[in-house]
Amino acid sequence: MTTTEKLKNILVEDLNLEELTPGDIDDDAPLFGEGLGLDSLDAVELVVIVQKHFGIEIRNMDEGRTAFQSIRSLAAYIDERLPVR
Amino acid sequence: MSAAGRIVIEGIGMVGSFGCGVSDFSRALADGGSRPASLAVSTGSGPIEIPAHLADTSPLSEFVPARTLRRIDRFSRLALLGSFLALRDAGLADTERRRLGLIVASGHGATGITYAFLESFIKDGDICASPTHFANSVHNSAAANISILSGIAGPCLTVSQFHLSVPSALATALRWLAEGRADRVLFAAVEELSELIGYAWYRRRGGAKSVPMTPLRTAEETAVPAEGAACLLLSRAEAARGGYCALGEAVTGSRPDDGFPLPDAGLLVLSADGRKDAGRRFAALARNARIACYTPLYGSMPAGPAFDLAAAALILKGGRIFPSPGDAALDFPATVPAGGELLGAPRVSCLTLGDGATFGLATLENP
Repeated sequence: MTTTEKLKNILVEDLNLEELTPGDIDDDAPLFGEGLGLDSLDAVELVVIVQKHFGIEIRNMDEGRTAFQSIRSLAAYIDERLPVR
Repeated sequence: MSAAGRIVIEGIGMVGSFGCGVSDFSRALADGGSRPASLAVSTGSGPIEIPAHLADTSPLSEFVPARTLRRIDRFSRLALLGSFLALRDAGLADTERRRLGLIVASGHGATGITYAFLESFIKDGDICASPTHFANSVHNSAAANISILSGIAGPCLTVSQFHLSVPSALATALRWLAEGRADRVLFAAVEELSELIGYAWYRRRGGAKSVPMTPLRTAEETAVPAEGAACLLLSRAEAARGGYCALGEAVTGSRPDDGFPLPDAGLLVLSADGRKDAGRRFAALARNARIACYTPLYGSMPAGPAFDLAAAALILKGGRIFPSPGDAALDFPATVPAGGELLGAPRVSCLTLGDGATFGLATLENP
């Protein structure tokens, strides 16, 4: 499973996006506002999710702002920091 | 109490294993129909299934959008559904909620989300604890959710006093209304049957075997754990438009079993729920009273006495006592017979017992 697919599954499950399936989420749609419609409390949840499921700590707001543009940008942020297997 | 100071039950909202709304509850009371389902519980010797009265919260989508509900835990969903049903039952408009107060009563509270939050602490460390879980684990969160989503602008409180949560919260609601702090109070009694509560029941019972609930056979332990919400819209008579009955008094106290003065009521509804220790005290107190008991319809839970209040309100409105479900009540000779019978009296009292010698008593009456 790719990081993108895994992220979509985790978001639907952990953020209780009950009206969506992972397949409904567009890779490039904005996570916040229009698009997936997440809000500021979800941003805090996302920081926790990334650390809990991928072991990656988002250290400051600038990093988070770049990573949280879309599923694609968040997956790229995670892949860049995952240990090479 | 004078007519001007009278408090009326203007609306009722019910959620439980019997269904959703006053009509489902009335049907269950008349037919004696509500069967427990089962709840999966993890134990040290592997997963088991225990009997459980579980409620369906899916009708809440009629009142709240799915996207809004995603951060709201099961405990709050039960409370919200019961509250919306009570407000709709009374026909209370959005514009009438400025002087509406809210009191949530629960013996256990939001155990599912609270223990999920604590477990995430233990498993992943405090840095990975979910902020949403934390928000829902706060004591007053269900009341806050109801207040925000239904536009209640009056005072808001959560009362937790285990088996006496309902009479204690009810006494507070009556005080608010008497003091004029609100014209109406939405009284919401709620319990959630989480896996944790199921596990506690399993440990208490020492097994998961299912037996029919027979609360009026007080020598047997037959409690079946439950969840649900029983919500009452209480209104000052001058503000109310119709309603079910008046609420005369609600008191809590502590008395020895042999010194308890039973109220002068046409019927005593007992909250006996299959717990043997409480059952013995009920038998000692009310053996010769005309009694009814409806807990087999909705199960054993600290919020159960609020379901008794709703049953009593329906009895007073219809003038007929519903039969007590379950086997013959050997310990109470004056139990209402299987076919039910006419009430023939203006008052019904509801008795609940707490730990030790504590009790709660509420009396409902026809205006």
